[in-house]
Amino acid sequence: MVLLNRDSSSNTSDSSTGAQMKTKLLGVIFLAAGVLLLGASAAAHHGRSNYDVTSNITVKGVVTEFEWENPHALIHLDVTDESGKVEKWIAETNSPTILSRQGWSRHTVKAGDAITLFGHRVKGGANYINFSKITLPDGRELNPAVVN
Amino acid sequence: MCNRHRQNSCTKRWMGPAFAMLAVLALSPVMLAQTAPKPATTKTQSAVPDFSGVWANITPTGQTFNAKEDPSFQLWADEKWKLNKNDNPGQEGTNGKVDRDPSITSCFPTGMPRLMTEVFPFEIIQVPGRVLILFEKDYAVSHIWTDGRKLPDDPDPAYMGYSVGKWEGDTLAFETTGLKDVTWLDRKGHPHSDALHVTGRMRRVNHDRLEVDWTFDDPKAFTKPWTGHTVYRYKPDWILEEFISCEDRLLHGGESLEQKAVKGHVD
Repeated sequence: MVLLNRDSSSNTSDSSTGAQMKTKLLGVIFLAAGVLLLGASAAAHHGRSNYDVTSNITVKGVVTEFEWENPHALIHLDVTDESGKVEKWIAETNSPTILSRQGWSRHTVKAGDAITLFGHRVKGGANYINFSKITLPDGRELNPAVVN
Repeated sequence: MCNRHRQNSCTKRWMGPAFAMLAVLALSPVMLAQTAPKPATTKTQSAVPDFSGVWANITPTGQTFNAKEDPSFQLWADEKWKLNKNDNPGQEGTNGKVDRDPSITSCFPTGMPRLMTEVFPFEIIQVPGRVLILFEKDYAVSHIWTDGRKLPDDPDPAYMGYSVGKWEGDTLAFETTGLKDVTWLDRKGHPHSDALHVTGRMRRVNHDRLEVDWTFDDPKAFTKPWTGHTVYRYKPDWILEEFISCEDRLLHGGESLEQKAVKGHVD
């Protein structure tokens, strides 16, 4: 399931311009005025010019593969919409070097895990997200941000 | 509070634990039995400030050396800068455009001095006649020669360039030249030419904080020298990991999955 959160009130760097999301999103769409956005602290090693930083989405799915690789760890997941249709998604986050200092390992995410991701969708609307927060099957929330 | 204006007190604060540790080692019979005589170079090493250890970039708006003012560019460089800079809504002034970044799109080494603006840590190792800066990104190494040698007159351009330095009290004063012009000067995307001459003054202003004052002189690209200042935090518990920028391209057929996604493909 994919949710769109459009909110600029609590993010210092990823401010909303009011531009309309051009892509069709799966599942329920709602406004989440009180959602804390984590984009400012989660900056990756490169810029986010490839992402729609005016909004955040929430993606819920089941992991099919976790790639612990440079320059970004990648989670492949299957996302099922309300009609039962399954779509392939890829979720990108920071490098293993940065994640390992945040307590991650290459075993943190496993195939079969039901996870929830929160972050920016790639421009153009492909099923690709740069996430700033992940919720694991046991309910733990992990932050992949750079902490120097 | 230990800061640049109270350098003497800072030095004393570090010296206390250092002397305590030396005393413990000296009183240990086991250590005495196992420790070889100190080489003659020890005296030279102890005479200069100790910058050794892992450091992480904590410069506010750390993707550049000077967030307040861009370089005053020559025309060609200004046109290049306009193409590089990030104009994504909400991201103005941050990292340069991904699709213009030579270390991403073309897998060029990041090079100096840009490596000093990255989010990845570096480690300083001091050996006789040289200060080494090991970078997590690209696993690159900068050699700053402190043995009195001069910069080469006509160096072959290199990604890390050629660096010499000398100790001036609490400061390592160094210069870097011979840099390839294909790299960005910093993560923000400022361009430079092969005439770039970097001057840095590095100081450990307190136990946990390293600061560098920069001057970038590049008459081919800038109409006047550009200055900057960066700050790094000591990370005694960190070790450098391996960060290779282009691994995703090597694994996924020459194009990252992010690049493919921008084109609408997720497979």
